[in-house]
Amino acid sequence: MSTPIIRVTNLVKLFKVPIREKRGLAAIRSFFYRRFRTVRAVDEVSFSLEPGELVGYLGPNGAGKSTTIKMLTGLLVPTSGELSVAGFTPWKQRAAYVANLGAVFGQRVTLWWDLPVLDSYDLIRAMYRIPADRYQQNLKAFRELLELDEFIQSPVRALSLGQRMRAELCGALLHDPRLVFLDEPTIGLDVVAKERIRQFIQHIHRERGTTIILTTHDLADVERLCHRVIILDVGRILYDGDLGRLAQRFEGPHELRIAIAEDGPAVLLPGLPPPRRDGRFLVYAFDPRQTPVAGLLQQLNGQAAFTDLEVHRPPLEDTIRRIYEQRLLLPDGPAD
Amino acid sequence: MYTLSVYLRLLRAQLRSQFQYRASFWLDVFTTAVFSGVYFLSFVLLLERFGQIAGWRLGEVAFLAGMTELTFALMDLIFSGFDPDFFAPNVQMGRLDQIFLRPVNITVQLLGSRLVLRRLGRALEGLVILLFGIFASGMHWTLAKVLYLPILMISQIFCMGALFMAGSTITFWTIQRVEAVNIVTYGGVEMMSYPMSIYPGWIRRFFTYVLPFIFMNYYPALFFLDKPDPLNMPAFAPFLAPFVAALLFWLALRFWRFGLNHYQSTGS
Repeated sequence: MSTPIIRVTNLVKLFKVPIREKRGLAAIRSFFYRRFRTVRAVDEVSFSLEPGELVGYLGPNGAGKSTTIKMLTGLLVPTSGELSVAGFTPWKQRAAYVANLGAVFGQRVTLWWDLPVLDSYDLIRAMYRIPADRYQQNLKAFRELLELDEFIQSPVRALSLGQRMRAELCGALLHDPRLVFLDEPTIGLDVVAKERIRQFIQHIHRERGTTIILTTHDLADVERLCHRVIILDVGRILYDGDLGRLAQRFEGPHELRIAIAEDGPAVLLPGLPPPRRDGRFLVYAFDPRQTPVAGLLQQLNGQAAFTDLEVHRPPLEDTIRRIYEQRLLLPDGPAD
Repeated sequence: MYTLSVYLRLLRAQLRSQFQYRASFWLDVFTTAVFSGVYFLSFVLLLERFGQIAGWRLGEVAFLAGMTELTFALMDLIFSGFDPDFFAPNVQMGRLDQIFLRPVNITVQLLGSRLVLRRLGRALEGLVILLFGIFASGMHWTLAKVLYLPILMISQIFCMGALFMAGSTITFWTIQRVEAVNIVTYGGVEMMSYPMSIYPGWIRRFFTYVLPFIFMNYYPALFFLDKPDPLNMPAFAPFLAPFVAALLFWLALRFWRFGLNHYQSTGS
């Protein structure tokens, strides 16, 4: 195994948050003397990443995702714990360190608003001191992959959201960063635009071996791109490991839907609760860990004349929601 | 060299951005110039009525006022990114985080992040007033004055820039911009525009020993206009401006760095 590009050990970030006093006197007093309470935004988080990994960093709002990312990018100094990224301590030697990073924030514009996209790239070239041949190669490749040509001469303010995200992605990758942070890169985009962005991320990951940390609320992004996910809640890691195994362990019941003749009698399958009717479908809920699909099909074949059959896995979103709501995972519990 | 060339590129980008709005740019310059002109006219009328302020004739006061007007406008142009009214919301929107993520000196990036060209209107007005002051006061040119004039202007620009930087740094703690900061910045500059000898003693002492603005404009003007010093300061007082400016700017930079460190530990 090569040396990790990111090593995070017992990372902690505490924030002091002023207590807001609501009632009269206390509110006035708090104007002069504010009381604080301590919030553990990130609480003893440890993980490491190998070069070339693409990891989904997930968690509900307030879980500590962006605080971790801010520490990884050097924007925030941790309260305690160790942090080593690409051989740097992020908040020291800032300029030298961030030259290795690329970052795209779906909600923010980093390119120059009133300038043509290409002019922004030229500024980036100068700021990162990208060698001319490397710049030309990358620009040519990204222009094709992201289909930038139709708007590369337009000012950023004139771009659609999808176009702007494509332009931002190119801008974040022109200097061949070793590590890329993508924060909600598909937010607010339509299906086609999302797919284009996902394809590009996958391409960069595969062809260039770039290490990518993806934070997103769109779990379709994660399912499409990540093998490994790190799930956070209230500042602690709930799960760090393979996405497929996470789903296998925690996903709720699957659905078996069979289409039968109208008004036919409901077919009962042994070991399963009675089916629910949905139009001409009978819908059975089953747990594949206990009742394998193959066995179900054999039983069905003997009992019912069905014209159509579907098996639905619950979407990843439901699985993750189950984990949070039913507290299926405890911090630092058995991960894998 | 690299940092300088990036700075110049950033400025050029700002220029090109602003020229996208050419019509509104000229309109801005025009309105600023008209507003400032009206302001100056009322000032002239007032002064003509009273003849002089504490032994300062119209032309001499115009020298004082035109000087600060010109250098403040130039400072406002160069330090646009550090204008506290712009800086505080900028931080709130997370723009500072993006600056942190680029491998270029943060201060330089901020200086290159905004260039409010319409300030040129005010600079132009200041220049006109200054020229008027120079001619109307019948100033005698000497080699020393020719050499000292640009040094003085640069000193004033840095001195006022230090106020902007300090004012912006404070917003790291207050989140919102602070009106008190503007009182010091704009009030201090306004104070500089008049002969300091007209102010009551405690104000003058404040601007001598706390914020030594008296050396930034009043004393240099005494030198340029060959006026006697009613306050009996040492003879080198008119030439303290570059040193005062360097000191204030150095302090402001230290404070700014301290503020950046604070920002990194709290994330505001």
